[in-house]
Amino acid sequence: MSALPDFQLLRPTTAADAVAMRAANAASRYIAGGTDLLPNIRRGLAEPGVVIDLGGIAELAHIDFGTDALRIGAGTTLAAIAGDATIRARYTALAEAAEAVAGPTHRAAATLGGNLCLDTRCVYYNQSEFWRESNDYCMKLKGEGCRVAKKSKRCYAAFSGDVAPALIALAAEIEILGPKGSRRVASADFYRDDGMAWLTLAPDELLVGVHVPLHEGWTSAYEKVRVRGAIDFPLAGVAVALKRKGNAIDDLRIACTGVASRPLAVDGLAELKGKPLDAAALAVITAQTEIAAGAMRTTVVDMLYRRGVAPVLARRITERLWNSAA
Amino acid sequence: MNAPETQVKEIANASAPHGVGARRPLVDGVEKVTGTARYTADLPADNALVGLLLRSPYAHAELLEVDISEALALPGVRAVITGDECDMPYGVIPIAQNEFPLARDKVRYIGDPIAAVAAVDEATARLAISRIRLKVRELPAYFKAADARQADAVQLHEKKQGNIEREVHNEFGDVAAGFAAADLVREETYECAEVHHAMMEPNAALAAWDTERGHLTLWSVTQVPYYVHLTLARCMKMEAAHIRVIKPFSGGGFGHRTECLNFEVICGMLARAARGTVRLAQTREESFLAHRGRPESQMRIKLGLKRDGSITACQAEVVQRGGAYGGYGLVTILYAGALINGLYDIPAVKYDGYRVYTNTPACGAMRGHGTVTIRFAFESLLDSMAGELGLDQIAVRRRNLLKAPTETINGLRVTSYGLGECIDWVEDVSGWAARKGKLGGSGNVRKGLGMACSHFVSGSAKPVHWSGEPHAVIVLKLDFDAAVTILTGASDIGQGSSTVVTQIVAEVLGIDYHRIRVVANDSAVTPKDNGSYSSRVTYMVGNAALDAAENLKRLLVTAAARRLKVEESDVIWYGEAAAVASDPERHIPFAEIAEEALVGTGTLNVKGTFTCPPEFQGGKQRGGAVGSSMGFSYVAQAAEVSVDMDLGIVTVDKVWAAIDCGRAINPMAVEGQVQGAVWMGLGQTLCEETIYENGRHMVPNMLDYRVPTIVESPDIEVHIVESMDPNGPFGAKEASEGPLSGIMSAVAAAVEDATGLRVRALPISPPRVFAALQEARNEAAAAATNEEQA
Amino acid sequence: MKRILGLWINGRWREEAVAENALLLDYLRDGLGLTGTKQGCDGGECGACTVLVDSEPRLACSTLAHSLAGRRVETVEGLATDGNISPLQRAFHEKLGTQCGFCTPGMIMAAEGLLRKNPHPGRDEICGALAGNLCRCTGYVKIIESVEAAAGAST
Repeated sequence: MSALPDFQLLRPTTAADAVAMRAANAASRYIAGGTDLLPNIRRGLAEPGVVIDLGGIAELAHIDFGTDALRIGAGTTLAAIAGDATIRARYTALAEAAEAVAGPTHRAAATLGGNLCLDTRCVYYNQSEFWRESNDYCMKLKGEGCRVAKKSKRCYAAFSGDVAPALIALAAEIEILGPKGSRRVASADFYRDDGMAWLTLAPDELLVGVHVPLHEGWTSAYEKVRVRGAIDFPLAGVAVALKRKGNAIDDLRIACTGVASRPLAVDGLAELKGKPLDAAALAVITAQTEIAAGAMRTTVVDMLYRRGVAPVLARRITERLWNSAA
Repeated sequence: MNAPETQVKEIANASAPHGVGARRPLVDGVEKVTGTARYTADLPADNALVGLLLRSPYAHAELLEVDISEALALPGVRAVITGDECDMPYGVIPIAQNEFPLARDKVRYIGDPIAAVAAVDEATARLAISRIRLKVRELPAYFKAADARQADAVQLHEKKQGNIEREVHNEFGDVAAGFAAADLVREETYECAEVHHAMMEPNAALAAWDTERGHLTLWSVTQVPYYVHLTLARCMKMEAAHIRVIKPFSGGGFGHRTECLNFEVICGMLARAARGTVRLAQTREESFLAHRGRPESQMRIKLGLKRDGSITACQAEVVQRGGAYGGYGLVTILYAGALINGLYDIPAVKYDGYRVYTNTPACGAMRGHGTVTIRFAFESLLDSMAGELGLDQIAVRRRNLLKAPTETINGLRVTSYGLGECIDWVEDVSGWAARKGKLGGSGNVRKGLGMACSHFVSGSAKPVHWSGEPHAVIVLKLDFDAAVTILTGASDIGQGSSTVVTQIVAEVLGIDYHRIRVVANDSAVTPKDNGSYSSRVTYMVGNAALDAAENLKRLLVTAAARRLKVEESDVIWYGEAAAVASDPERHIPFAEIAEEALVGTGTLNVKGTFTCPPEFQGGKQRGGAVGSSMGFSYVAQAAEVSVDMDLGIVTVDKVWAAIDCGRAINPMAVEGQVQGAVWMGLGQTLCEETIYENGRHMVPNMLDYRVPTIVESPDIEVHIVESMDPNGPFGAKEASEGPLSGIMSAVAAAVEDATGLRVRALPISPPRVFAALQEARNEAAAAATNEEQA
Repeated sequence: MKRILGLWINGRWREEAVAENALLLDYLRDGLGLTGTKQGCDGGECGACTVLVDSEPRLACSTLAHSLAGRRVETVEGLATDGNISPLQRAFHEKLGTQCGFCTPGMIMAAEGLLRKNPHPGRDEICGALAGNLCRCTGYVKIIESVEAAAGAST
């Protein structure tokens, strides 16, 4: 057993208290389900002096169906999201993404907020202290340079959360609480393309929930490619939201995960509006997803495979949604 | 014979059907399902010091200095030891001992232990480790067999030119003539990635040093407490009599623990140095570094076939990346050649094997030791050639069946052989004739069916240590309480060896299970056993148990006759009672028989032994003793797969496996072993792979080393063929290793059936299949374009 | 730093000083001697440490003990009632759902969590519920059969 380093554990009961505690303790970390942070602390990837447990904040664990949007509190477990019949019916991609995370026991503890803020992953980073030390560390922690791309000035660690691309495809907004109040940001803008600083969340801010607009006439789905049927992070994950009108695409949004340092929307799909989902449209989807899926050598699984299957997923899911919406 | 009275009848009925052949739960199952089973890490030792290792960050380097002074000076540090602590190399094979528990002079892989600390708590131990200073001179390091074999490569070990640990060259029969007589000769290369045991329990040891007496007690996770005992005595320069080795419950082994591992010796040395008790709990990563798995292997294999499918000759070259130390390596490379034989009737075999030292964790024995990768190559090529000859894959195998009893060209004696019936069953239940090549598929998914055969030894007929002792010993203790205690050194690592010996004893004595206890694996109490490896336990220890039970029964029948005042021939034995044949009203219960048996002698310790007769220990010819065993298990299996043609993902939907394990002493346990073996093979087939980058283990965890989950694991239907081995206990043979090595080629064949592609490298992972499918599509497109242009 | 933690362990209220950084796994094993809960990996990868928290399966290696203040924790040692092993334990024993036994406590607790919510699960539901629990011995076949037997389901 690698015992955890000493830390002080704080248990706020309101989101405002949590933010205040964070502001008062520079070396603190939030913990929710613990499934990402605790193994990381054990491997020496984080060494917080203070840990702020969000598990006691009731207001963070709500699912509310409003008139114009669905609001999910950041403390809602992935199991609760996956198991919610209304979410599954109306926001299928979200339920499927939540259900695709790790294994059932992880999902019973892991939260929406935790999955959205998941640390980026890399085979040179998610290793023991002995391992990283013997490899001279890397720029993401304690070291210099990138082990993935030798001459790179940036870190390529990959964002591997499953839920984020579903929210991006569903045009969700992220609700953030800081010392100066709350703000909202488009889910895609919650992230940036940097393996070391992949969140636009300020250090003193707390992700408190997401708002997903009502989607009349939309269908959506999420699929991931992984080697095993469970536990694995996505080698590539794709969420698609489609609105079909007769024999034409009314709107289409696709987002990927596991293939870059952030989850990202596939660009260049606007030209498909008003067109049928024919071979030409599928070719556009394939080409655009290929551009987005620039996976780097952050896993032991060949990056060319991860780059190659993302477009396959995008094409496949879109076709399926198209046919089911007919 | 008159019928005994009702009460005795009941006893007889209750005790009759529950011995050999019964689907008994494990004798230690209740402890396992209630959480009361104590594994090594669970043993209470409140005052134990915490042991930690300093491991080499270098793949290959001369150790110039290991400065422990700062670490030793830390408060709370009780001992710091280095390679100076032990100058006796060890290794499981007496002629190939080249490993030290803590590195001396050189480190040879990233993770090689250099120093160890015992401290009052983990934080102190960790701090002490960080204060140890190393001075080294780095050396060129080799991570592939081909690189290590270069003539100018720096040698990992002295006098090993080209870093060849062991070369094997032998030829049985006339290979050239065999190929000349063939109608079709093909040669092909295959490659298998290295794989790891990944038993669920991480390594751990607990050592207590008794300073007053100079005694050491060591508890460990081992499969081979006896070898651990010998190694402790050797490395610590202690008398074996001053050492006690105990194996508590063990969370699996699969070969990882069939030799003494460095942490076991280090734990003992730390306890002595600290003059106290030390717990050395290893992380999952450290278990991956101790390794001893199946090596990365390159196989070049050539077969000759007649038009009717009969094999005329086989020539094989195997290169294994052995890792940094010898371990079981020379056995692995020898077995790979020897066990080409014994499955089919092959008149000529030439074999060239090369075991190579590299700067990676040492490989060793892993379930199916030696046979697995060569079997993948052999069966794959046989399949391909059958296709070329327009023959059915099953028909080709039938064409080459052995006829028992027989002796192979390399002197393996096959005395029971149920492969034909195994094949029959698999052909039938898989719907082979109607479905092979016709499964088609829908959408992006194509389906296919494939099959293969395999076999394995029931214990190596030649023991690793030739001491002149029997191969196995069992002691049965009968005392005033009329309980029968089985004392065994056989290591139950989950395979159910304690259950098997209990069933055999229960069968012979006919007594109630509640009267029988098993005490296992405490060198102070139980007889020596060589350990749980090479599937020797059921066959050898089972035979010893049978012998012991028969010896005890003889004493009990004599005692019963004495108490009943009749001739022994007039005693009817019911197990829980004995009656007079001529007067069934007269009977006595077991307790009374036991009481009588102890008169004048006291506690009975009845021994049973087993020794493989010399004629089974292999032919006199060079290489002839390798792989010899008294009985071979035989397996045929078929796999049905689905291939996602866009994503390259192979899903195994169903496996049918038939095993000839001789008499199934516990059919339920046999099923469990076959399912576990097939499934473990599936992991190697589809997704498992140790990966090193510059000698650094890239996947030393259970996330990236992908042991299959329940979700993608198929149903595995098992059929038992009981060929009744003439020498196995009640006709039994092994059941847990043979089934592993056929599944790779069965799946490869099924993938070919589904896609038309033959994958010749393991694992058949999504990236590999994806790339192959893409290449095939590109080739097809290019061909179509050419055709258009033409 | 230690702080008083009160919670239910196998039906008994416990209140004692526990380090704030203690994982539930360490508290159970080292603090309470409940070594039935196993550690099989370096964190969250194998499921051997699965326990129930308010009847939901949780990974004891990825849970802080203090985060469970006031809640009900059950381990494999708590399943037997009046000295009788539970139907699920009996099924794993009699159907050979256990071989080496190391994954067994976690496997049984994950299955127990499933059966409390869904007393008659189908095969897919069983696999879904046990998807995070690795076993290296059985190939899972007899584990599934054990859960089915306990649920009284037939295949």
